[in-house]
Amino acid sequence: MSTDDRAAVEAALRGPAVTPPTRAALLARLNARYDRQYFTPAEFGQLRAAAVRLVPHDPAELDLAGLVDDRLHAGRTDGWRYADSLPDGDAYRALLAALPADFATLAPGAQDEALRAVQTRLPRAFEDLLAELVEGFVSHPLTSYRFGYAGFMDAPGWPQVGPNELEDREAQYGR
Amino acid sequence: MAAESRGALPAAPDVLVIGTGAGGAPLLARLAQAGLRVVALEAGERHPPGGIATDEVAQAGLFWMDERLAAGGDPVGFGRNNSGRGVGGSTLHFTAYTPRAHPDDFTLRRDTGQGVDWPFGYDELEPYYDEVEQFIGVSGPAEYPWGGPRTTPYRHPPLPLNGAARLMERACAEVGLRTSPAANAALSRPQEQAGFGVRPACTNRGFCQAGCSTGAKASLDVTYLALAEQHGAVIVDGAQVTALLTDASGRVRGARFVRAGREETLEAGTVVLAAGAIETPRLLLRQNLANSSGQVGRNFMAHVGVQVWGLVEDDLRPYKGIPGGLISEDTHRVDGVVGGYLLQSLGVMPVTYATQFARGTGTWGPALIDHLSRYNHVAGINVLGDCLPYAHNYLELSDELDARGLPKPRVHFTFGENERRMSAHAEALMRDLWARAGARDVWALPRAAHTIGTARMGEDPSSSVIDPVGRAHDTPGLWICDNSTFPSALAVNPALTQMALSLRTADALITHLKETA
Ligand SMILES: Cc1cc2nc3c(=O)[nH]c(=O)nc-3n(C[C@H](O)[C@H](O)[C@H](O)COP(=O)(O)OP(=O)(O)OC[C@H]3O[C@@H](n4cnc5c(N)ncnc54)[C@H](O)[C@@H]3O)c2cc1C
Ligand code: SF4
Repeated sequence: MSTDDRAAVEAALRGPAVTPPTRAALLARLNARYDRQYFTPAEFGQLRAAAVRLVPHDPAELDLAGLVDDRLHAGRTDGWRYADSLPDGDAYRALLAALPADFATLAPGAQDEALRAVQTRLPRAFEDLLAELVEGFVSHPLTSYRFGYAGFMDAPGWPQVGPNELEDREAQYGR
Repeated sequence: MAAESRGALPAAPDVLVIGTGAGGAPLLARLAQAGLRVVALEAGERHPPGGIATDEVAQAGLFWMDERLAAGGDPVGFGRNNSGRGVGGSTLHFTAYTPRAHPDDFTLRRDTGQGVDWPFGYDELEPYYDEVEQFIGVSGPAEYPWGGPRTTPYRHPPLPLNGAARLMERACAEVGLRTSPAANAALSRPQEQAGFGVRPACTNRGFCQAGCSTGAKASLDVTYLALAEQHGAVIVDGAQVTALLTDASGRVRGARFVRAGREETLEAGTVVLAAGAIETPRLLLRQNLANSSGQVGRNFMAHVGVQVWGLVEDDLRPYKGIPGGLISEDTHRVDGVVGGYLLQSLGVMPVTYATQFARGTGTWGPALIDHLSRYNHVAGINVLGDCLPYAHNYLELSDELDARGLPKPRVHFTFGENERRMSAHAEALMRDLWARAGARDVWALPRAAHTIGTARMGEDPSSSVIDPVGRAHDTPGLWICDNSTFPSALAVNPALTQMALSLRTADALITHLKETA
């Protein structure tokens, strides 16, 4: 299970096919945890519950809501936003406020319905949040492992690039 | 390098260059080789190949992350989509497609009555194209089927085709479109590079858009900037220019910049602004410089860049092989559209694909995870098409300040009828190709790519900002050399043309300095 996945990831990251800068970045991300600093506890609860429905994941393993909170707290941007949107943090707050107050405790079906409603009402904030969660999810080494993505093991290069021409380390990596 | 260990700047250089991308770097080298004392100020840091991680998030530092505002009917995304910051500019993460512009790209108005002609033609750039291709080491086919005359073959043989390229090759053959391995500024065999050493052959690691960790890709840090430093140019990284210095006569005399949190100034005989098509007009507008035409910030263009994606049975591993593999320019001119486009196969890194899929389709929940888990089977193809200059597309300063306390630029962009028709034509063609390749779950991402225009060149000072060689019409001491100067967008990727223009402007500046000495 999860501990096995983690062991497989760590073994790959410590192996010779990974360059030192790649290894440093991915090991740090594998174990990243964040303290809530930007959102209120109530907002953060909404965010975490929404994040789990939008990009299904185990928050104990991958702290996607914490990642968003951390970025906003640090004031980092992705370099742009729609001119007619609020700044990221305000836009996300408005989106979370547009969810039912008891969102986190609703049944999954009702949660999805509420999310579909905000996707229609606040399309840009929804799109930005979804993209940010997806980035955190896909860039996480556990996700790479589960999806069989081996691109980070590139130190020896990839002599074969045609369809179905896999190196052993690619064919064997992942569940 | 820590700020304290940086040496003192040479006092009063002959020329100060602002920005070290495709516009600034070749020129910097040329001036240094001519014996001029030159300094470049670059807002971003140095990113030597050995420090580049094979990871998109870790490489975010290659992009301009100060917030820009995207306005209009087809807002253009910036950050990781469309910007660059670092010693080498956007070439640190460009895909390295290096087609030449065609002779008729420079004469769209003459030929169609629409758009704007360049003040010179292909003939003028041809020797510079040759020189750049040889120096940076472009890999390409022995015979290139499209475009103007070539006097010199590509220096290296073409790079291997990845999975998507091979699918595109077969599908194009079925519909009678010619294809060719693309010209790509990554090395298919090692090359000695003056001032740098030996650059190795590409290892097919597919992460060109997150920086090249081997030095195989011809980003400017390992090519023209290495040459510039070998000839005595001083490149100051982490130095963001916040204003140009002018004297009472209105002549530009240098620049004010912020380095390691401290404000400094540097005086210079001539200033070349090469900060790219967003930061160049942003700087000029703050002081209303070089703007007697009212054209600074105007005529912003972005290439039609619709992409079509699908899932195939084959295990393609889209992270392998150079992303820019195969090209067709048979659509360089298409009926019913002014100008035309080229087709290119794509490779794609996982985060780029996943975030584009989420934004482009709005999919979430289990359906999202299901699609993303098939990343190894993703095949992509895209186009790059001309874009006409319009009055309704422009950059202005907003009254919001960014984290550095500088006004954020607001960039208005809405496709015209012509770009919409071109996008639709291209999307239909690519959907047909991908159906023939057996792709499922095909989806299209309408997109605009590259930032072009905003300080255009021309003969007439009332409708252009700089003259045909790069000198500001109305502001002595100021030259401009970057994508802002393009009068029209061209139906090809811009970097090679930009490097050729950079050498041409350098030659004109050297002549000018000799004449006025
Ligand atoms: C993801 C991506 C892929 C691309 N792929 C291709 C491709 O395959 N082929 C192609 O031809 N083109 C490609 N391009 C476009 C190509 O990179 C650009 O056309 C080219 O680099 C533009 O050159 P430039 O000199 O105008 O700007 P840049 O290369 O962006 O250089 C501008 C430099 O100025 C610096 N600067 C800005 N403001 C200041 C300031 N105030 N003070 C100091 N320094 C400053 C910036 O940090 C930057 O380094 C791609 C672009 C992107 C974003
Ligand atoms: S594919 Fe080649 S050129 Fe591109 S980043 Fe990798 S080694 Fe460099």
